[in-house]
Amino acid sequence: MMTTQNTFKQVDLFRGLDDTHLEEVQALATQQIFKSGNYIFEQGEIADKLYIIAEGQVEVRYRASNGDDVSVLFLGNGQVVGEMTLVDEGRRSATVIASTEDAVVYSIPNKTLGALCAENTAIGYVIMRNIAQDLSFKLRHRDFDTT
Amino acid sequence: MIYKVSYVVRDGKMPGGIKNEKQRPEIGSIVEIGHTQFTVTHVHEVMPARDNFQYLHAMVEPVSQYASVN
Repeated sequence: MMTTQNTFKQVDLFRGLDDTHLEEVQALATQQIFKSGNYIFEQGEIADKLYIIAEGQVEVRYRASNGDDVSVLFLGNGQVVGEMTLVDEGRRSATVIASTEDAVVYSIPNKTLGALCAENTAIGYVIMRNIAQDLSFKLRHRDFDTT
Repeated sequence: MIYKVSYVVRDGKMPGGIKNEKQRPEIGSIVEIGHTQFTVTHVHEVMPARDNFQYLHAMVEPVSQYASVN
């Protein structure tokens, strides 16, 4: 298994942070391991953390207003999920489930990450810029997926 | 270089995925998304590379479908 530092260096969300800043972010993270089929979070829940997928894949499922539950996307290593709430503080927009055995995930509480970003604006700028770019990348993915 | 790849299934009947790859996917490469294996049929750059990240979009087809037409 990779070290936390190596893992975080391969996460686009943290691209551009120097080692010192990366260590500050890593100090906020908690490693969790999810078995296949285990829920990481559910659509509609109050959101208080973002998650970084270190190993394995997770499935993003969306429950439509008619009750249909649809698989919309798989996210693998290096991807971030649940990051929207760091920007808008809204509830979970989808359900996320581990889809491989022993999916290794790091969670970071929004409050502490938000506080770090506010306290150290160099870190805050990089993370917020990268969140915007990641959301843009996901929108482009969805555009390709629907054309 | 880390390749952040958006994989989209050609017929849209199955969900695609996004993940980091250590090697650039090429046409004919096999990738596993969820529990299904797919063949890459098209790759292009989505946005300019930044630092050690390159951003790619790949179209894929289930392995069985690709094999039947190639």
